[in-house]
Amino acid sequence: MPPPRARFSLAASVLIVALLLAACTGAAAPTAIPPTSPPPTDVSPADLTGRLTVLDWAGYDAEDFWVDFKSTYPKVNVSFETGASDADIYARMKAGDQADIFHPYTGWLQFYVDEGLVKEIDTSQLKNWDKVPDHFKAIGQINGKQYFIPWDWGFTSILYRTDKVPEGIDSWAALLDPKFAGHISMWDDGPGAVTVSSYLHGYDEAAITSEQLAAIKTEWTAQRDLNLFYWAGEPELVEGMKSGDIWVAYAWQGAYALLLGEGVPVAYANPKEGRNSWVGVYGIRKGTENYDLALKFLDAKLAEATGNNVVNLFYYGHSNQDVMSGISDETLKQAFSIDDPNILQKTNFTPNLTVEQRDAWTAMWAEIKAGP
Amino acid sequence: MDSPLLPAPRQRCRGAGEQERTVLFDRRATFWILYLPPLLWLGLFFIAPLVLMAAFSFRADMRGALLQWWTPTLQQYAAMLETPGYWRLLGISAVLALIIATSAVALAYPVAYFLAFRAGRRAGFYLVLLLVPFWTSYLLRVMAWKIMLGSEGVLNSFLLYTGLIREPLGALLYNRTAVVITLIYVWIPFAALPILAALQRIDLALFEAAFDLGATPLRRFLRVTLPLSLPGVLAAFFMVFIPTVGEYVTPLLVGGSRGSLYGNIIQDFFTKAANWPFGSALSMVMLAATLLLVALAARLVDVRRLIE
Repeated sequence: MPPPRARFSLAASVLIVALLLAACTGAAAPTAIPPTSPPPTDVSPADLTGRLTVLDWAGYDAEDFWVDFKSTYPKVNVSFETGASDADIYARMKAGDQADIFHPYTGWLQFYVDEGLVKEIDTSQLKNWDKVPDHFKAIGQINGKQYFIPWDWGFTSILYRTDKVPEGIDSWAALLDPKFAGHISMWDDGPGAVTVSSYLHGYDEAAITSEQLAAIKTEWTAQRDLNLFYWAGEPELVEGMKSGDIWVAYAWQGAYALLLGEGVPVAYANPKEGRNSWVGVYGIRKGTENYDLALKFLDAKLAEATGNNVVNLFYYGHSNQDVMSGISDETLKQAFSIDDPNILQKTNFTPNLTVEQRDAWTAMWAEIKAGP
Repeated sequence: MDSPLLPAPRQRCRGAGEQERTVLFDRRATFWILYLPPLLWLGLFFIAPLVLMAAFSFRADMRGALLQWWTPTLQQYAAMLETPGYWRLLGISAVLALIIATSAVALAYPVAYFLAFRAGRRAGFYLVLLLVPFWTSYLLRVMAWKIMLGSEGVLNSFLLYTGLIREPLGALLYNRTAVVITLIYVWIPFAALPILAALQRIDLALFEAAFDLGATPLRRFLRVTLPLSLPGVLAAFFMVFIPTVGEYVTPLLVGGSRGSLYGNIIQDFFTKAANWPFGSALSMVMLAATLLLVALAARLVDVRRLIE
């Protein structure tokens, strides 16, 4: 005897099959419904069933980060897969991962479009779309089409211990400064190193020449002797800064807010070359059978309760304007530099990589790590 | 060696009686029943991925569908040839694996010897003690080393407290020495097991014979115990050496920016660069190099003679 829920979904599938058959017979009429439009059902959100798989980063699977969807569609079964990095998520989607929704970051968006892995977003079905500022919308547009919806965002800058570096830090050059030998931690990422060098030397990050890349390699090879360890995940960095091993680090503001919250004396620099900024976006896999449900999921991702959790729990920004203007906590205001009206002008967005750049920059980084 | 599971030689089959034929069939059936599941498993989850990886190493890049025909190219291997850093690191990784395997085996031998000949009735209890570390995850054990060796770790705190040092010692963690120390520690219990098995197989009458013939304990060890346990020692050595050449987790956790091994570079090309073709080429080179080294070592010590 199947459990009541199974019986219900059995009944639901019978109903769906019946509806489909009805739709097929009706398709002979010239006013056929296009397949992408939502089925004309009377099912209320609370009774809607279905299954969604999300390929996300560890931690984002917590219900806090999709709470609006959960409360509106409690009967939809959402399962998560986790990826370790942008490269990992990309490689998995490329290898045929069947997740309906995935979560890449700026720098890695063009590939999904070029390789035909992402389906255009029908923004007309997103009720919260109007709350997203245009400059964020633009980040999810590739080749003039909205392939991604922007969701979380934040800065990258230099995080430092104010007790160990009382003079403060005002430049990205601190990451390469022999003064801090043995107490620096760089992110374990080639494109990240290229970004820092580009800011320092005024290179055009989107058009790095091979000579410039060679200079960057020399620069970061020398940096390796000053660097204690390359961090791969934020917890590693937070632990290193807390223990006092690390004084100066390349960091996202999540680490900053986390350390502030724990009472560790840290500051987040405003380097004269400008901060870096990144945006996390959601895309829907091309070929998914759950496109409408996926849209509902993304719409709920943009809603306020979910956004507030991103801000309050992870200390990252959210693309919903109302969420950001509602922040009153002083630590958070400081983390986002909300009171600094010029902060966005002092920020550089990560440009999208090409395949050649990706391969050359990651190889450069591996060669540095393998070098004598 | 004659295994009872292997089918009998063919000539015996000729003109054999009905009964013998049944026995033969039974043996064949046993062979397939016992060997087929693991063979299938290995074929599906080891050989097939390995073949796929070999194929990927002849691919130009990640563009286009992953499972489709592509024109084989030696481009990845050529790129690797042009980068001396990778070869150097492969050499370093092999030498470190040699040091680690030798040290782990040398340190594990006395443990196994004690368990086999001196522990007596308590051997079972001590064996359990040896295996206790396996009950916790590998990651936890390595993290414990971080707590021990960190600049605010147990060792540094103690030295600071006693006034022996004024500044915490930074050199304890985040370098290759830390990687070697941690790996030797991790491998000792593993290495002890095959040596223990070999020692337990030695016929105790041989010791009595050596004693009767006037051998000193040292001479008895060198001429009887050690040679007879060598198959176990070799098994332990290869069991440590082969996986250590490609090790990447320990360097990641305690190696710091100068502690990367060859395995880390392979991992980076798969997880940080989304460059499977180059990562596959690096893996294939490592596989070939490891097999070559093992073949060379096996030849040098003449494994077959030892096992007989």
